[in-house]
Amino acid sequence: MDTLSRRKFLQLSGAAAVGAAAPLLTMEDIAQAASARPLPLGTPILIMVTLYGGNDGLNTVVPYTDPIYFSSRPDISYAPEKVLKLDEQLGLNPAMTGIKSLWDQKKVAIIRGVGYPKPDHSHFTSMAIWQSGAPVSRLNSGWLGRWVESQEIDPMLAISLGSVLPPLLAGEKRSGSSLPLGGLVIPTGTFAKDCQKLAKAASSDNKLMAAAATSMRTLFSVSNTVTPVLKLPAPVADDLPTANGGNAGGDSNLAQQLDVVAKLIAAGSPTRVWSVSLGGFDTHANEANAQAELLGTVSAALSRFSSQMKNTSRGKDIVTMVYSEFGRRVKGNASQGTDHGTAGPVFLIGDRVKGGFYGDQPSLSKLINGDLAVTTDFRDIYSAVLEDVLKTPSEQILTGWKSKGQYF
Amino acid sequence: METDRLEIARLYHRFGFGPRPGEFKDALTNGLAATKNELLSVPAIDLGAAQIAEPNITNLGPRPDQKTSALIEFNIALRQQVKDLPLWWLDRMALSDHALTERMTWFWHGHWATAIGKLNFAYPMYLQNQTLRKYALGNFGEMATAMLNDGALQFWLDGGDNTVKAPNENLARELMELFVLGVNRYTETDVRELARALTGYQIERSSGKVTFNTKRFDPNVKTILGSTTTFNGTSATAHLVSQPDNAKFISERLWFRFISSLVELPSNNSLEKSFETRDITKLLAALTDSQILSNPSYSIVKAPVEWFVGVARYLKLTPSALKTPAQLLAYLDKLAQVPFSPPNVGGWPTDESWLSSASAQYRIQFAAWLIKQADLSALTAVAPNKRIAWLQDELGVLPFSNRTRLALDGVKSTPAQLLQLAICSPEYVVSA
Repeated sequence: MDTLSRRKFLQLSGAAAVGAAAPLLTMEDIAQAASARPLPLGTPILIMVTLYGGNDGLNTVVPYTDPIYFSSRPDISYAPEKVLKLDEQLGLNPAMTGIKSLWDQKKVAIIRGVGYPKPDHSHFTSMAIWQSGAPVSRLNSGWLGRWVESQEIDPMLAISLGSVLPPLLAGEKRSGSSLPLGGLVIPTGTFAKDCQKLAKAASSDNKLMAAAATSMRTLFSVSNTVTPVLKLPAPVADDLPTANGGNAGGDSNLAQQLDVVAKLIAAGSPTRVWSVSLGGFDTHANEANAQAELLGTVSAALSRFSSQMKNTSRGKDIVTMVYSEFGRRVKGNASQGTDHGTAGPVFLIGDRVKGGFYGDQPSLSKLINGDLAVTTDFRDIYSAVLEDVLKTPSEQILTGWKSKGQYF
Repeated sequence: METDRLEIARLYHRFGFGPRPGEFKDALTNGLAATKNELLSVPAIDLGAAQIAEPNITNLGPRPDQKTSALIEFNIALRQQVKDLPLWWLDRMALSDHALTERMTWFWHGHWATAIGKLNFAYPMYLQNQTLRKYALGNFGEMATAMLNDGALQFWLDGGDNTVKAPNENLARELMELFVLGVNRYTETDVRELARALTGYQIERSSGKVTFNTKRFDPNVKTILGSTTTFNGTSATAHLVSQPDNAKFISERLWFRFISSLVELPSNNSLEKSFETRDITKLLAALTDSQILSNPSYSIVKAPVEWFVGVARYLKLTPSALKTPAQLLAYLDKLAQVPFSPPNVGGWPTDESWLSSASAQYRIQFAAWLIKQADLSALTAVAPNKRIAWLQDELGVLPFSNRTRLALDGVKSTPAQLLQLAICSPEYVVSA
């Protein structure tokens, strides 16, 4: 199980579970904290779920009738009777029951064979390309960081869970904020005033010193808004089956991240983009158990989150996107695992999503150097998310990309 | 004088872990040349490092079976070792007289980034740390050979699973991409061929012992970067190190971590040539040349461990003696940087990644916690209106901006708060 944390690109805060042991706040407190300028009802909200390490797409959306699938990876293939059938050819990994149930409600779009031109097999290069959204010009900023810069300044606009900011939310001059699981605690009293003096810009600051001052400034503004909200209990998921004495969600770091997100969305946080993540998908060895455990975590956490949000006025506004930096090699290796590959499926989940399959399933008989061919460029998805979810023109953010998928 | 101050500050904060009390002022008096010379000459005996006892980290042997009392004892011992290991190293960083060796060991740890989590044994990580220290300022080719035979690295990258029957590419890819050549300086075929050359290794997890099993080795010819022969792990690694791209890559990596991650290494640089013989000290001499160090545009953010060790050196704190050491590791964990636990094989992130609102919060709390345990009598003895200028020289930073000066001025009569703000100021968090 230690392999699960193998590729934890962004080390998540080990802070204690939120929401416990805090007294309930009064309505006035809530109103003041999150409703000073709440997100208008009906504003779409994007949740980005990054799976770090390269999730094996073929064992996520399984081509369970293709003989080449079984002959290519005899040790780690899923038998047809095990998969959760989506249609006559494809089925979900047996661990993804929660997402299967959302699929049955037509709330899941699965875009197949997603990648970018000239796929790179390096985790770091490939993730940088996905997060920058610029496979050709290789920008240093993230596509959602550039979106942040296209909006009015608001430190609450885009928030990543964890203490390290992912490149996804980094812009050229402005970036999203980050929030550890336990929330932010700021100095109080007169000392707070002195700290805030340190957060001002200085004319002599270079780029990094200016960024250091900004981080302190953001700390105060974000903390003042979210701290009271985090003391609230998370929205209740009352329609989930309770099995074996426990909630079907289980307790994973991803579930904790989504709990914080759920509270803040329910409280009306003026945040339009959230970023959460799970690592450990680099399954070079002993893949079957490790990947199933991880996919089970993702599926359970997302279906729990969906149930939590259904009871709030924001449930219909949420769109979740799940992606990884690449899929894996079609042929298994000798250690019951797979090496780095190329294309993989992307999931879009939510009431606004038109459920179903999009993009062609890459052929197992027409491999490129042992890898799946890319059938959908991820920029088709990004442009749809920017235009249809974030209501922002996408072409400039995506450096001139014009084509757009129809998933909403 | 002002460029001397910039260069000396950079030598202290980037090639060491920051000055101890009085050191920076002395260095300004002694001058840049003498400071650089002292930095690059490793003393025969480091009295500061010598006072730290080796940790009690031993080969615990294989994990006992479930449900035996031996397992409980084993777990207790393992937990203790996993905690002792980073504390021991942090002590070395904070107490060594000559900080460059530890600083370079730290760099190489991020370069050959291996995390203890997957291995779940402290002993092989301890052995790897000794290897990295042994070659920290030595020959890169020898280091690469030693790392090929390092149990922790081999286990981390599934080396034992890479056999003639079907290769596992994990180690081969990272050896080319992250350790020796750099991304895109090889083809996918080279990765697959190198994986075949790296077959045959077996690792004993608890001891980190690496053995070679000819039955699992692929003896056939391989073509790697244009050369075709019956490569094995040793000859293939030497072949990679002999490539001109190796000099380029290691120059780029040192540049990235010590000079700037925002500005690329200029193409007409003197670094690659200095590394012709793969002598790391020669490369460092080129890297600390005034042409580079005096350029004001190369600023860099201190990573959390670097920031902490800098504060500990200045406050004369021994990390393992803090109350409590577990709290120290918890703070570093919140800042997302604990020695021996890099987030992935690419090592830790740089610069703006460390400047989130969340890390600003933890840094303020961490600073208060450290200052509470320190002796501030030297600062207290300075008259309040002279403290800001005095701290500037003690901490070895460039002149504080008006912004910071104003903030510090508000707390100058309270030494603990003054110091807390000073070490959380952009001027200290960033090495300008």
